[in-house]
Amino acid sequence: MDDDTALIASSKAGDKRAFGKLVKKYEQMVYSFAFKICRDPEKAEEVLQETFINAYRGIKSFSGKSKFSTWLYRIVTNNCLMMHRKKSHEPVVSLDETELLKETGELQVAHWGETPHDAILNKELKEVLDKAIENLPLDYRIVFVMRDVEGLSTQEVGNALNLSVPAVKSRLHRARLFLRNELDPYFRK
Amino acid sequence: MKLVDHTKYLLEICEKVDRDIASPTCKKLREHLAKCPDCAAYYDSLKKTIFLYRNYDVKLKGSHVEEILTKLELEGPLEIKLPSLQSLRKKHPR
Ligand SMILES: [Zn+2]
Repeated sequence: MDDDTALIASSKAGDKRAFGKLVKKYEQMVYSFAFKICRDPEKAEEVLQETFINAYRGIKSFSGKSKFSTWLYRIVTNNCLMMHRKKSHEPVVSLDETELLKETGELQVAHWGETPHDAILNKELKEVLDKAIENLPLDYRIVFVMRDVEGLSTQEVGNALNLSVPAVKSRLHRARLFLRNELDPYFRK
Repeated sequence: MKLVDHTKYLLEICEKVDRDIASPTCKKLREHLAKCPDCAAYYDSLKKTIFLYRNYDVKLKGSHVEEILTKLELEGPLEIKLPSLQSLRKKHPR
C-alpha cells in the first residue's frame, strides 16, 4: 500500500487526522489548479476549502480506480463550474476551427518576439494572460489547463470530465488556437 | 503552396505542438516547417502560448489544513454524493 492508499482507508474510517495529511499533501496542487481555472486568488482559496470538504464527505465513493489527484481535479472542476454559474454568463466567442484559423491562413503570420523564459512573469504580462483565458469558455479552459498546463494525459482528462478522448482533443485544439489568437496582438513584433 | 494545404499543416501543428513533433511520423510536418516561415511562426507562437501558461503558477500563502479540519469537526460525519459534470451540464445548459 502506498501512502495515499493507507491515508484514504483511514479517512474512510473517519480518521480526520489522516485526512488532514491528504489535505497537506494536495492543497497546493488543488489551489494552483483552482486558480488557473478561476483566475482569482480569493475564489481559488474558497474552491480549495470546498473541494476538501466535499472530498471528505464523498471519500467513501472514491474507488481507487483513478489516482486520488485525478479525483480531486474532478471535484475542483465541479466547484469551479458551480461558482462560475453563480456570477455572470460567459462572453460569446467563436470556437470554430476554420474561423480560428481564417485570419492566419489568409494573412502573413506574425512572428512573435521573445517571451520571458524565467519563472517570474511580470504583472502586465500576467494580466494579459488572465484576460485572454477569461475569454475562453470554461469547458475549454478546464481542458487546456488540465492537459497543457498540469500535464495530465488525454485519457486522465477524459476520465475526470466524463469526456471521450476525441472530445478532449477537439476542445484542447480549439482552446490552443483561441488563446494563441488572443495573445497574438500582444506578442507580434 | 495552396491555402488549403497550408491550413492542413496548421491544424497538424496544433495537434502535435509541444509533444510529439520530434517523432518519425511528424517528418513531413518538420520538413514543411523548415521551408514555410508562416507555419514556422505559427508553430512558435503556439508553443509560446502553452509555455507562458505553464509558467504562470501561484503559491498558496498558508496551509488550510487546520481550517478545513475545524469545519469538518463542526459538521460531523456526513456523506453526500458528488454530482457528475454531465448532470450539472444538463441542469444548467449554456
Ligand atoms: Zn505552411
